[in-house]
Amino acid sequence: MTKDNDSGWLPDRRAVLKGGAALAGAAAVPGALKMREAQAASPAGTMVIAAPATPQSLDSEYDVSLGTFETVAACYDSIVEFEKIPDSTVPSAQREDIKDYPDRPGRVSMRGKLAESWEIDQGSKWVRFKLREGVKSHDGNELTADDVVWTWHRKLALGAIGGFYCNTIDLRRPEQVKAESKYVVSINLDNPNPLLLKLQPNLYNPIYDSKKCKEMATADDPWAKKYIENNVAGFGPYRIEQLVRGQQAVFKGRDDYYGGKPKMHTVIFKEVPTSANRAQLLQGGAVDIAQYLQPLELITLKKSEGVAIDTVPATFMLWIELNAKIPPFDKVDVRRAMNFAFPMEQVVKTVFQNIAYPLNGAMPDLYPGFNGSYFEYKQDFAKAKELLKAAGMADGFETTLAYNAGDPVQEPTAILYQSALKEIGVKLVLKKVPAATFYNNVSERKQPMIFYYDSPWCPDPGYSMNLYFHSKSFINYSNYANAKVDELIDGAAKTADMDVRLKNMDEAQKIIMAEAPWTFGVFTNYSMARRADIKGWTYYTSNNIRFQDFYREA
Amino acid sequence: MQSANEPALDPGEAGALGASAAGRRWTRLKFQLRFLLAVLRARPMFALGYFIVLTIIILGVFAPLIAPYPPETANPEDFLQLPSGRHLLGTDATGMDIFTRIIYAPRIDLTIAIAGTVISAVVGSLIGALVGYYQEMRGIRAFFAGFVMRAADVLQAFPVFVFAIALVAIFGQSLQSIIAAIAFVNTPIYLRLMRSQVLAIRNMRYVEASYVSGASDVAIMLRHIIPNSLGPILSQLSVNIGWSVLLTAALSFVGAGVVAPTPEWGSMIAVGFQSIITGQWWPSVFPGIALAVTVFGFALVGASVEVLADPSRRRALGGTLRQKPSGAA
Repeated sequence: MTKDNDSGWLPDRRAVLKGGAALAGAAAVPGALKMREAQAASPAGTMVIAAPATPQSLDSEYDVSLGTFETVAACYDSIVEFEKIPDSTVPSAQREDIKDYPDRPGRVSMRGKLAESWEIDQGSKWVRFKLREGVKSHDGNELTADDVVWTWHRKLALGAIGGFYCNTIDLRRPEQVKAESKYVVSINLDNPNPLLLKLQPNLYNPIYDSKKCKEMATADDPWAKKYIENNVAGFGPYRIEQLVRGQQAVFKGRDDYYGGKPKMHTVIFKEVPTSANRAQLLQGGAVDIAQYLQPLELITLKKSEGVAIDTVPATFMLWIELNAKIPPFDKVDVRRAMNFAFPMEQVVKTVFQNIAYPLNGAMPDLYPGFNGSYFEYKQDFAKAKELLKAAGMADGFETTLAYNAGDPVQEPTAILYQSALKEIGVKLVLKKVPAATFYNNVSERKQPMIFYYDSPWCPDPGYSMNLYFHSKSFINYSNYANAKVDELIDGAAKTADMDVRLKNMDEAQKIIMAEAPWTFGVFTNYSMARRADIKGWTYYTSNNIRFQDFYREA
Repeated sequence: MQSANEPALDPGEAGALGASAAGRRWTRLKFQLRFLLAVLRARPMFALGYFIVLTIIILGVFAPLIAPYPPETANPEDFLQLPSGRHLLGTDATGMDIFTRIIYAPRIDLTIAIAGTVISAVVGSLIGALVGYYQEMRGIRAFFAGFVMRAADVLQAFPVFVFAIALVAIFGQSLQSIIAAIAFVNTPIYLRLMRSQVLAIRNMRYVEASYVSGASDVAIMLRHIIPNSLGPILSQLSVNIGWSVLLTAALSFVGAGVVAPTPEWGSMIAVGFQSIITGQWWPSVFPGIALAVTVFGFALVGASVEVLADPSRRRALGGTLRQKPSGAA
């Protein structure tokens, strides 16, 4: 090659290439270092979580998105909580003790949180809490009975999720929640209600700092909706330092928390929408916890060094609503036939990799009063065909199944179901609904069949059955209506006699399982995917994590 | 008038034109075939493009005869099987055979892409011809032409993919909606292409002569302008079909395309890609390869059409081809 520049002051092509390569290498070093930094383990007191979404609204009255659950759990405290016991399947994990204790007040095993003690009426008509003294909020205001009163008044006034809880315990008027003294508050019902105490530890029963909220309230917004939507005003162990929706939220542990400063003083809650990416980040050590991974990812990660997967029985249930107001699902025989055609075994084995197990009842099997013996729907095409014939639909029919595009297990489950239904002459058209509008589709109740994934947060059979099967429940998305079932549920809601309640709920389960308002799917369990040095996990019936439980093992 | 798209005949070939019309047609066809084969020999990549496209079409058409398994029936006993003699390209999470679904997929992908592209080409070309023809006139028709061009500007200002998703979201998730979305986003391309061609042709002598002889605007456009403007449209058509296959797959990938479990490359990739981290690469990689090869094939065919439809480049290529043997002798 001849050089064009004999003078030599201009670099030749090789020199340019060398220089360019050196420059590119130098430029890449900081990036590589940064990447290495990201891959490295988090500092002892810092925990990084990869979650499908950051919190949207922070107001538990209106928002039920995944990130909001974690925020409410971290920044607010309830008045009491269930005692914790070791999990029977994963002894290193804790779980709430939700069993029925006939010899204890309210038949529950609880301990105080914001309350240090309580008294409850034998008939469950009233409860009185003595609050801890000296508990400070994020803004330095002391907890008093007025905070509890304001919190319940807000629920009554706004009438959304909190309003539902008021209805559940039959709390109708503001004066039923009373500040007896600075630190004593009582809730007084007109009728006995078995959930009066059981509902208090519910994740969405946090106590607000009423002083701060009143400061931020305006004439147009007397309940500080705008403030609570974007800020926290509670007594919980963490405060929000940063919230960039769609990217991350940063939580800082409070030094002045009455329960002691959380061991994880900084929690970075990152939005990583794709589960495969969350799994990869956990595997690489860039995050400490990856939430909501897919069954196959969990199985694969189990073999990864430095990663621990704990799977415990949970309240999560996946089922398909069979809309009783849309033919042919108005016919019990057709609904039963749909259940006999469901490929339960294959779904558990292929889609859930045996992490799930059959949903053999109408409520979580962890809850008192669950009866799995009424489940009869083992896959049986002959029986399904017989039932269709009895319903006058021997030739089958065509219908639509809507599923959530954001939940990767629903599509393969739907495809397996579609193939199975061909055997009985039912043509199932699959309808993929974007995650953003899926719950609108569920709540509109206009789809003949739609998936639903949920868990009742109060460990009580009456609460659970009322949610999904009472004809007047706002989340009875299958439009199921049976006067006898309504009567049994109503009866169970008005007595504190647990034996009567359990008997009622057992009878209701028998009817519901026979009338099959759902295609019964699976109990999905709850899997915690974490770095092995992250310890302290507790499973809650609300299926969310609480940052304050965790610590890093040295 | 000789169309710009007719092949140029050398004197020898012209002399060979016999007395009968059938003989002339046969001779011309033979010449065209020989010419095409010579072009393909000279440009083997063009041949590869035609081979790919023809293979994909044949596989799609004869899929029911070739496919070893039903394309839409789950077989949970065989889920996520590695490629093997039993399942050439493995199986997906519901046990469906990937090879079967890949060869069925062109039925959907090509139908959508070809239908969408042809509709957009016809509509866009007709509007483009009108706009180009009337643009330099005065009055309401010129105003209409200007209005149409500004509307096309607005349409093209939107990101194509986002626009297509929005259209499918509005009209619902169906085959027709996807075709309509593809046709809609592609129409401005043909409109502009045809308009620019018409603007160049409308002032030519033979057009003016036709006008002077009393031909109507429609007749002038249909007989003289549009046929002579089709070259770039045809070459764009093939490239656009490949691009539309990609758009169809992309729509399915984000969940706005075909309904599951319809065999379609984009939806197969979408379903399979999450398993890559868990080691099951085959449910997404093979459909991805099929998609890439198809788009590549259509791009090559488009490049060949561009050469063949351009008289000057075709003559140049023809000249090269004729010179080659003599040069070699």
